[in-house]
Amino acid sequence: MSKTVLMDFYADWCGPCQMMKPVLEEFEATHGDVEIKRVNIDEEEELADKYNVSTIPCFVLERDGVEVAREIGVMPLKKIEKMLEK
Amino acid sequence: MRSYDVVIVGAGIAGMTAAIYVARAGKSVILLEERMHGGQIINTINIANWPAEPGISGAELSQKIYHQVNNLGVEVEYVKVLSVEESDEYLTEQDAKNAARRLFVVKTEDGDYTAKAVIVATGTEPRKLSESQMKDAGKRTVSYCATCDGAFFKGKPVVVVGSGNTARHEIAYLNNIASKVYHIHHDDPIPEDAVAVFVAIGRVPNTDAVKNIVDLDESGYIVAGENCKTSVPGIFVAGDCRVKDVRQLVTAAGDGAVAAAGVLAYLA
Ligand SMILES: Cc1cc2nc3c(=O)[nH]c(=O)nc-3n(C[C@H](O)[C@H](O)[C@H](O)COP(=O)(O)OP(=O)(O)OC[C@H]3O[C@@H](n4cnc5c(N)ncnc54)[C@H](O)[C@@H]3O)c2cc1C
Repeated sequence: MSKTVLMDFYADWCGPCQMMKPVLEEFEATHGDVEIKRVNIDEEEELADKYNVSTIPCFVLERDGVEVAREIGVMPLKKIEKMLEK
Repeated sequence: MRSYDVVIVGAGIAGMTAAIYVARAGKSVILLEERMHGGQIINTINIANWPAEPGISGAELSQKIYHQVNNLGVEVEYVKVLSVEESDEYLTEQDAKNAARRLFVVKTEDGDYTAKAVIVATGTEPRKLSESQMKDAGKRTVSYCATCDGAFFKGKPVVVVGSGNTARHEIAYLNNIASKVYHIHHDDPIPEDAVAVFVAIGRVPNTDAVKNIVDLDESGYIVAGENCKTSVPGIFVAGDCRVKDVRQLVTAAGDGAVAAAGVLAYLA
């Protein structure tokens, strides 16, 4: 089985990112098979650079280390779940 | 088909407030939202004029209202509404005899809904860059929100396009972050060395979905007075997408209450 990781690029100063917290918690509760990696872009600048993130919130879905989907902005649970179809 | 007494299009401050009133009156109601509940205010960090909560962020305000809506049992579906149409059916036999109140069909990207009454609360979105400027921008980041994306351009030159209030705010914010903030107007060329383009050239109403059924003004805003009644009985409008002088949170919430009261009277 492939390993699926959802990366959540955020910052403490980003209001919309705070809005995504409960959405991600709900996602986590219902998708135990997906690892969620929260990336604070101020603390992990190189990682944000590496992934070419220049606007947040930004969500990157990887399967076995390969990016398969990316979404930017505040969004409902349904849209994050849609990324899993990729 | 899914049927409700009231379908509300748009879960911004106007739509969510309307939902509170409609739900409390015991009517079945659903909010259809294309993006995220809260609408255009969610990126604002510090709101100074929402009574009782000075300094609250748009995200927190949106979340609080959303919880209130949720606790009242209102459903929220995240889907884009494509059109609102009149059906051949009437609300009651009496209505059929009088050729009065018809059922509405609200068409979305994911199926249709029927509603006895509709509240349109679709707000506005940022006006996009002109095509020539878009070309000019090329691979550079184009952003419609300095507080969201500004921090990525620490110590780098950026440009703000626009001449209104929002543009001034964006410039003030970016001055603390960027090495240089160019300021240009709607159709000026974009400076070579700017690495990001922040756009603040006004807003346009999201009224495509209803343009074939209700009257709009020449800028696309839905025509209605302070009673929030559109040109079609049974379709009400609330918030920034309505023709009005003051587009603010409290006036959006106020419209939500007025539109809901209009709906309840219409359905009585
Ligand atoms: C940067 C900024 C700062 C601001 N600061 C303040 C402030 O400090 N104080 C203040 O009072 N006001 C402020 N405002 C104004 C305030 O945000 C608006 O007046 C208010 O949010 C309007 O609410 P609304 O519900 O009418 O519309 P919106 O917030 O625009 O909500 C409309 C909703 O409808 C959805 N929608 C649109 N089309 C469709 C469709 N076809 N199908 C489904 N859903 C759809 C949208 O996704 C959106 O969520 C600010 C605005 C901006 C942009």
